[in-house]
Amino acid sequence: MRSEELKRAIYRCGKCKLCSITTFHPARDYLPLCPSGTYYKYQAFYAPGRLEVLRGILDEEVGNTGELLKIAYGCTLCGACHEKCKEISSIDLNHAEIFEDMRNRLVGRGILPEAHREITERVRETGNAYGVTTKKTYPSRRSGDTLYFIGCTSRYREPEIMDSMIAVLEAIGEEFSILDDETCCGSVLFRTGQRDAARELVERNIRAIEESGAKRLVFTCPGCMMTFKKNYPDLGVELLHSTEFIAQHLNDLKVRHLGMNVTYHDPCHLGRHLGIYDAPREILNRIANLHEMKRTREQAWCCGSGGGVKSAFGDFALWTAGERVKEAKLTADVLTSACPFCKRNLAEASDGMEVYDIVELVKLALEVQS
Amino acid sequence: MKESLKQIVGDEYITDDSAICYSYSRDQHWNFVPAKSPACVVMPGTREEVREILLFANKNRIPVIPWSTGINVRGLTIPVHDNSILLDLSRLNRIIEINEEMMTATVEPAVTFGMLMAATDKFKLRPAFPDAPLTVSVLANNYLRGIYQTSSADGHDHTLSFEMILPNGEIIKTGSRAFSDDMPYFRYGVGPDIAGMMAASPGTWGVVTELTLKLYPVYDLQQAYFVGFDTVEDSMEFIRNINRDELVESCRLLDHHSYITGLFGTFDYDYEKLPEFVACILVAGIDGIFQAKDTLVRDHIGKSVGVLLDIPEKLRTHFREETLAGSEKSCMVFGVRGNYHCIGIYGPLTHVPAYWELHKKAAADAGIPADHVYFYVNPIGRFHGQLCYVELDIFYDGADPDLGKKIQEYNRIQFPRLLDAGIYGWFRPYAGIIEPTLDRIGYQAELWKKFMEFADPNHIMNPGKLF
Repeated sequence: MRSEELKRAIYRCGKCKLCSITTFHPARDYLPLCPSGTYYKYQAFYAPGRLEVLRGILDEEVGNTGELLKIAYGCTLCGACHEKCKEISSIDLNHAEIFEDMRNRLVGRGILPEAHREITERVRETGNAYGVTTKKTYPSRRSGDTLYFIGCTSRYREPEIMDSMIAVLEAIGEEFSILDDETCCGSVLFRTGQRDAARELVERNIRAIEESGAKRLVFTCPGCMMTFKKNYPDLGVELLHSTEFIAQHLNDLKVRHLGMNVTYHDPCHLGRHLGIYDAPREILNRIANLHEMKRTREQAWCCGSGGGVKSAFGDFALWTAGERVKEAKLTADVLTSACPFCKRNLAEASDGMEVYDIVELVKLALEVQS
Repeated sequence: MKESLKQIVGDEYITDDSAICYSYSRDQHWNFVPAKSPACVVMPGTREEVREILLFANKNRIPVIPWSTGINVRGLTIPVHDNSILLDLSRLNRIIEINEEMMTATVEPAVTFGMLMAATDKFKLRPAFPDAPLTVSVLANNYLRGIYQTSSADGHDHTLSFEMILPNGEIIKTGSRAFSDDMPYFRYGVGPDIAGMMAASPGTWGVVTELTLKLYPVYDLQQAYFVGFDTVEDSMEFIRNINRDELVESCRLLDHHSYITGLFGTFDYDYEKLPEFVACILVAGIDGIFQAKDTLVRDHIGKSVGVLLDIPEKLRTHFREETLAGSEKSCMVFGVRGNYHCIGIYGPLTHVPAYWELHKKAAADAGIPADHVYFYVNPIGRFHGQLCYVELDIFYDGADPDLGKKIQEYNRIQFPRLLDAGIYGWFRPYAGIIEPTLDRIGYQAELWKKFMEFADPNHIMNPGKLF
């Protein structure tokens, strides 16, 4: 993004701070929407203040202060501020992208959290963000037009999501393949401003996917999917989230109602960034009793883990998830999402509440059937 | 300084980090108030901490800039001097009391209109709303004599009493609050109206830590009307009659491009097809009175030269919400061209056509394109003096420095012209209005300065904002 474009966006901000709350009318609930500002409190952590700091960086009036790292990287890039702002200002630049660009500029000056440097090193060394060196192998799956791109978190930290998705794909009867040597998509590097470091991953994945001959990529991780959509060239393949794919085949699946009272947390990458809101709900409405939280869809409160926050600012990430869990507990018995990173952070803050990815519930619905 | 303030508020709530301070250096008024960072930002959590901070600053003659929620379009919380303390009051966000019987609320500085409305709604009560986002401070807007307001029936004076901490640590309680904290419900206790004297000063006396304000009933029976007029003059008789007879809950005369976008809550409407000026009217009341008022308003519409407009129900609903439940979409003015500038004045309805002409002329003289020029009028009940809040707006691209300079020129030529034409008062002490005004108010200017000197002899309270 050119400096002039960024400044134009900065000068569009009228400092109304409506980006910090959910839409008031007609419900008349006054609910916070910006995790970063709510947690850190100072103006610099709300979008209007962060834009001012970016102005200072562009004008070289703000240097590497003690708090600059936190201001620039202590934001989940959830994009809720943009959802509110565009209603008001009809702004065409996305705040999440602006703040990502802010990080990229800082990375260019060597200003980034140590935790993010370490992730880059781990990805370079192992091909995954968690630095797992023991490769997981699966039964060879090399046929079909569909490739299930698992992603680092499902593969190495939340494998029940991966296992459930594989079971669901099999239940659908879909011929699908999995990359034996899947490489990180680069999402975490892009989101933390390390674009150059991500390029190699992009190239490696493009080669692997072209070699697979897949015509369709299915993701359980919305972060991976968004990265493919936003940061990869058009590969000429269809990109689908697991919930979209399952919703398309819902009538082919023999699932039964689980009788659970669930609520659904919209992952930022899936909802605000990819615009996928209905498919998860269609599935949940089929297999459970879905109850909506007050902050939902475009105005969902973030889980707190995205944008490199989980690795660099763990307390903030956990607090944000805790706020979401509190809201979920007021709404239902079970908290669901459709993102392994959301599930991981929400589960950590769950305080006893059951947390599932939707594909896990779908698998459970299949199992009950059998 | 940081170490001393840390002793008061703790390590977490004081920072001199230059990046954080930078985020407080500018508001929406950047073309008129130069950006400047405070030396530190401190966030007290109690009244006692506010007092200790003021005592420290007063002793050391350090400027203090009170800041409530930070939604400011006038540059009033941008420091003028070096080494200023930005007193971020956002932790003082308690609604201390909602008294359904008394129809009052008592709030701390960081309570927003959204927070208060969410709390009063269940009592079928509401505050008087400014045409500003729900994120603005209830206390600051009322204290600044700033409710200009979305409901004409509410009148103008909503502040009942407040508590203010002066730089020397003394605490002033105004009105009946002086007798008892438990009875803050009457504006005039004993002696002069201290609240009135100190109002409309942007943090230049002390820090208001609590304020009690009036709440108003929310009526279920509501009816919106939109009446189009080709000229401002055509609308005057109608506006005067419905306000003189106190028939309407809300009455706004707008051009068909500007704030009407926020009232309708959408950019996606063919505003061009509307007549050039639209009177947005809301009738409300209890059963019986509502029907009587509604009949009379219909009669007035029928007798006027205006045209009753057919507006979709969704937009009408939005207008009702914006008017009587809190203005949420008024900031859509930022979506028209990216930023907006306004001069807000109080004046009589009789002068409104002249204000509009002056506005267009000054804008033309300053080289501002005619299609950037807008205005609106809110009559204020009761209607003695035909009191109106009049806003002379320019919607512009804030990233265009050339246009910014033209608007600065607009201000320079417009302030004296408005004074010459006759106004009741300025809405806020904007940058640039004090100088041309002081010469015209006689000894009041001297008295004002002397009172301020008495309250703040070391000139620590937001220095440079007024004099």
